[in-house]
Amino acid sequence: MSKVLILESVSKSFSVQRNRPLTIRELLVQSLLGRESKKHTVWALRDISFSVRQGEVLGIIGHNGAGKSTLLRLISGVSYPTRGCIKRFGRIGSLLELGTGFHPDMTGRENLLTAGILNGLTSRQVKMLEEEIVEFSELREFIDQPVRTYSSGMYLRLAFSVAIHFDPDILVVDEVLAVGDLRFQQKCLERFRAFKNAGKTLVFTSHSIDQVKNLCDEVVVLEEGRMVMKGDPQNAIDCYNELMRERTERQKARVFGKVEEQAVLAGKRGKRLGTHEAVITDVCFYDTRGRAISGLGSGEGLTVELKYRIVKPVGDLALILGIYDEGNTKCFETHIPSFRETFGFLGKQGSIFCSIPELPLLPGRYYLNLGLYPPDWNYVYDYHWQMHGIDVVGKRLPHASGIVSLNLVWSACNGNEDVAGR
Amino acid sequence: MAIKADGLAGVGKTGYLSLIFRGFRYYRGFLSHQLDLLWHLVKRDFTLRYKGSVLGILWSLLLPLAQLLVLVFLFQRVIPLGIDAYPAFVFTALLPWTWFSSCLNSAGSLFLSNRDLIKKPGFPPCILVGVNTLSNLLLFLVVLPVLVIMIVAFYGKPLTPYFLLLPLLLVVNVVLIWGVSLFVATLNVFYRDIQYIVSVFVMLLFYLTPVFYSTSAITEGYRFLYNLNPVAVLIQSYRAVIFFGRAPEWGFLFIASVLSLLSCVVGYVFYRKKLHEIVDYI
Repeated sequence: MSKVLILESVSKSFSVQRNRPLTIRELLVQSLLGRESKKHTVWALRDISFSVRQGEVLGIIGHNGAGKSTLLRLISGVSYPTRGCIKRFGRIGSLLELGTGFHPDMTGRENLLTAGILNGLTSRQVKMLEEEIVEFSELREFIDQPVRTYSSGMYLRLAFSVAIHFDPDILVVDEVLAVGDLRFQQKCLERFRAFKNAGKTLVFTSHSIDQVKNLCDEVVVLEEGRMVMKGDPQNAIDCYNELMRERTERQKARVFGKVEEQAVLAGKRGKRLGTHEAVITDVCFYDTRGRAISGLGSGEGLTVELKYRIVKPVGDLALILGIYDEGNTKCFETHIPSFRETFGFLGKQGSIFCSIPELPLLPGRYYLNLGLYPPDWNYVYDYHWQMHGIDVVGKRLPHASGIVSLNLVWSACNGNEDVAGR
Repeated sequence: MAIKADGLAGVGKTGYLSLIFRGFRYYRGFLSHQLDLLWHLVKRDFTLRYKGSVLGILWSLLLPLAQLLVLVFLFQRVIPLGIDAYPAFVFTALLPWTWFSSCLNSAGSLFLSNRDLIKKPGFPPCILVGVNTLSNLLLFLVVLPVLVIMIVAFYGKPLTPYFLLLPLLLVVNVVLIWGVSLFVATLNVFYRDIQYIVSVFVMLLFYLTPVFYSTSAITEGYRFLYNLNPVAVLIQSYRAVIFFGRAPEWGFLFIASVLSLLSCVVGYVFYRKKLHEIVDYI
């Protein structure tokens, strides 16, 4: 299939000028005093080359600040590369930063019209599409309200509906789907698939590994403005995780002066990873009456205690808690983005309790994977993988398989005549 | 791409003719879309301007009217200038002046306050300057009948065929405003105090432009300098064709047109040079 997007050694620099004269007065003062403001260039992207074929879905992954958003802005033509060139064949639609694109004082309908005309349609064509867009966005009651009254979810719904309905050949989506509720996210993903099946090209960034794995044909991994690899999703995700690990090692070396192997907690299997700026010192399980346990009955309650200690001064912590089965299938995972926001206080050491009133898992061995992260999730302080196992026991339900244990009650309403006849 | 490929496929005279024709059609399509966009944005600007105000478009009439009342009171009663039909005399100049000054005063913040549009792929920021110029022109055209009625019915002055020169003056004025505004809008992205400098400059220019006085009051030596100011020449020309019903001074109007075109070229070249940076600075 033909290539619709070609990037040839694209670089982008921003000149970050310390004390850049923002006003004429500053400019005058600086030049009169002979103080040259120091100008140094920051390369946000360096030498990126790749091409995308028609009908392909390209994912771009990388850490915060790796240059994903800058790259998308260049691709969509909002900003221009410092060096290199970008060739596009076809009409580009974009869904970039959520804050921009609509005028807050105009109603949803008026904004929709503006967006349509900007996308190269005539106002009559927009009018014809209007109904469909309003329908898809599920904003019928709000469409004649000013956009400033919208919640971020509603804003996203309108922006997405507008972007997808104006029939671009290439759609560029920055990580915005995270704002919408789960149902609308599903709807968007469906729509992406239909879009792809129609032979259109999609370029998007995401932090959700699942989305990348399910949707992309090819994935580009960015690290500090350079393209590390381009390949199939599985390889790219492995590469991304490897980068995450390397970054963590580097950070660890920076913090402690040298890379040192941390002893695995006595008597536990599994792996441990992190810089140990903050550590998980112990993890204990209790039942509903507060007794320490190592196993519990299916459907019973469980309290997890996580003891932590802060080694180097860190501002805040984020926590991830996941329950995995022995085959490393994720049963459940959740996270706390900020200790300070959730608990109001961050002590030098302490315990975090997590009570689960019911754990309806089928009998088997499960692992709690716990991790402490900095709030920007850029690397790991301490991650315990398959170190804390717990046995769920109980009568195995006949004919049941899977992860979740549900209590089912069967009944029937069959009419009053047996097929065999009597 | 498609155009080029087709054109090269059909070699021969007709091939090149069709190439030119296709190129023209493509260009016309592009142009009609730009015009469509311009028109829509002007309407949008109008809606935004009067959103939530009770009097709406009346505000735009009230402002020059209030200024007119002050000037008439001042120079007919307090310090009489002795000009015949003074209210109509001032109003003829005040309307184009209001157009010019309100365009220039809002030019500085034009790119900054329309981030939402500039951050759309393929949106040419310079179109915003056109929108600003045209939507202020519309206000001028809305009030124009009031002025004509005032001159004809109230002061009994006839409209002469020279009135038909008005579109020419409007075109020269649009070119001047567009060029200067584009320069100001672009520069203000990088140095945010340009807009304040411009508003001071516009205020000073008001007194250096024969809006509320006549050029005959100026001594001979300065009059030459006045005629190098394209705004002053334009204002006098408006007054000539609408109020006095006679031909404008062609020589000075020609100079003003050349200066306007020059401002347009300078503004556009500067804008093209800075275009890539504008998006990153906003």
